Amino acid sequence: MRAMRTILTVLLAAPALAAAQTVDQAVLDALSAGLAADLGPATAPQTGGPAGNSNPDISLILDVAGAWFDGEPSQLGAHDPQSTGFNLQQLEMHIASNVDPFFRLEANLVFSEFGVEVEETYGTTLALPADLQMRGGLFLTRFGRINPTHPHAWRFVDQPLVNGKFFGGEGSRGLGAELSWLAPLPWFVEWVGSATMANGACCARSFYGADDPGVETPADLLYTAALKQFFALDDAWSLSWGLSGQFGPNASGNGNRSEIYGTDLYLHYRPANSPDREALSLQLEAMYRTRQVPSDRLADYGGYAQLVWTIDPRWEVGARYGYVSGLSDDPLDPGWVEDRHRASGQITVYPSHFSRVRLQANRDDRGDAVTWAGFLALELLIGAHGAHTF
Amino acid sequence: MAMSTRCLLAFCALLLTPTAAHAELNVVATLPDLAALAEVVGGDDVEVTALASPNRDPHYIDPRPNLILPLNRADLLIVNGLELEIGWLPPLQVAARNGRIQTGGPGYFDASTVVQPMEVPTGKVDRAMGDIHPGGNPHFLYDARQARRVVGALAKHMARLDPQNAADYARRAAAFDAKLAETTRRHAERFAALPDEKRRVVTYHASLVYLFDWLDIEEMQTIEPRPGIPPTPGHTAQVLSTMKAHDIRLVVQESYFPRKTSETLARLVDGTVVVLPGGTRFDEGEGYLAHIDDLVGRLYAALSK
Repeated sequence: MRAMRTILTVLLAAPALAAAQTVDQAVLDALSAGLAADLGPATAPQTGGPAGNSNPDISLILDVAGAWFDGEPSQLGAHDPQSTGFNLQQLEMHIASNVDPFFRLEANLVFSEFGVEVEETYGTTLALPADLQMRGGLFLTRFGRINPTHPHAWRFVDQPLVNGKFFGGEGSRGLGAELSWLAPLPWFVEWVGSATMANGACCARSFYGADDPGVETPADLLYTAALKQFFALDDAWSLSWGLSGQFGPNASGNGNRSEIYGTDLYLHYRPANSPDREALSLQLEAMYRTRQVPSDRLADYGGYAQLVWTIDPRWEVGARYGYVSGLSDDPLDPGWVEDRHRASGQITVYPSHFSRVRLQANRDDRGDAVTWAGFLALELLIGAHGAHTF
Repeated sequence: MAMSTRCLLAFCALLLTPTAAHAELNVVATLPDLAALAEVVGGDDVEVTALASPNRDPHYIDPRPNLILPLNRADLLIVNGLELEIGWLPPLQVAARNGRIQTGGPGYFDASTVVQPMEVPTGKVDRAMGDIHPGGNPHFLYDARQARRVVGALAKHMARLDPQNAADYARRAAAFDAKLAETTRRHAERFAALPDEKRRVVTYHASLVYLFDWLDIEEMQTIEPRPGIPPTPGHTAQVLSTMKAHDIRLVVQESYFPRKTSETLARLVDGTVVVLPGGTRFDEGEGYLAHIDDLVGRLYAALSK
């Protein structure tokens, strides 16, 4: 729209400007000629190396872990180490590139020992008017802070309990479309709304889950809404605050519905002039879920808090506490009656930007039993290192 | 039918109404040095914002969401390029919802495309070599000669985006180019008068190669064993023996790199660490020339001691 306006303005004004522009062009050309005489001609650098410039960015991320449990393991995340011994958490291939000036395509293919899964693949618009942006395809919904991210960006080896219980082993994701809007305010405010398929035990378990009754009306879809805000408190302190909600049908029939509400907070401190790039971050998420079931309404809640101290580019330590309430007569988790508490501690070394070794201990209290666990996880990344979001 | 045509025409007319505030270009530069150059060339015709602050390593800027706001409004995005901003800029660009400043868009200017890159790897680039930039060393803004190239190209780019003020961009760029040329000559002459043995230094990261090329200083070794890899005891011992063998008493580095190893080495050879400002203090009103004079002045003072 604006580009069109600019073009037209230029076209309309062209005759009047033509003379003036010739003179300006002469000044600019003289400047270039002077530079070339003084410094020699500039040679355009070759970027992207000999592989060429038009190839998409491809990266391969390996996550493997040695794990030990002193009792019955009950990890909820699909990428968590699941049993004592060696575990392939995932081999993730990330491919991304701009398609044209209007779209960007991203794909995350996850390889397990016996198969490949398209975890995410979606297009993002780059130049919609009115500060809007759309995503379409298969994607992780933008509920809360940790859900839209991948294990590579996590600060602990396993997924928080509440995400596993409310969304499923692979978090909340599905096929659908998303519209987001950057509000024209002096601070960062983003509204996000998406409609996705409500089925999938891995990724919509509070909704249709393993059932797939199909879509007959718009009420058969899962709707996610989120409000993200960011406050740059000063050069060193940052605060993100989000509100999220998810609404959709559940598998108990009769048009019964489930709702999940969440809030998340991220406080980040990174002092300027710290040569060690020292940083401290506190991340909190809390969720509340209600489900209509035949002749009842179930309500439960959970959350986690994690504190991570980046000591220098090499070392990081973190502590996390997670909690989820239990319910009697929960059709989804019949055995999960007691509240569950999990405390975790981790220490991580980053030999470089592309590798990390993480040691983590968990104390998992399921009410009737306490399980201790230890993980030694290795992550290696080759190829393009995509930038992280904040 | 007639009704909808009329609506369409009205809508087009609305689109075509020229906006009053168009005289001003919104310019966003990733680095404060680029912001300072853009402000000189753009003068009153531009509004310049710098994303990175000079006291942080430009490889590792936090992509804080507040940076999305200036990018959203930008008519022109100036990047350093050569993958310096690869760890933080791309997601901000996408989130900005601004087609003009996407890579290759009309409002995207990569300064590295107009300079003469150094240390362009000739063979295969392997990560085991450390953080090698496949297009060449990205820290060219320490060199006033490279800044001249950027200024010239920037004026052309701004003139293309805002043809009405093309004459002003050209005039300001030409005037500033003369100052840069004078600065280039003045400092080069001053350093040329130094004896050879005073022109050898050790640095922390290989980020000063353009500066040293301009001022004819020899970087004997870096404290990082490979770019981006923190110092190891074995390599530090090697650097120490190099310093002793060549009687080097100066370690040069930017303020945002770790200082512990540098200080230890300096103490062992009875020398000093020169800490250089990593960028123009654009937010405090400093200009590019003042920054270069400050940086080069500190280096000269230490070398001529």
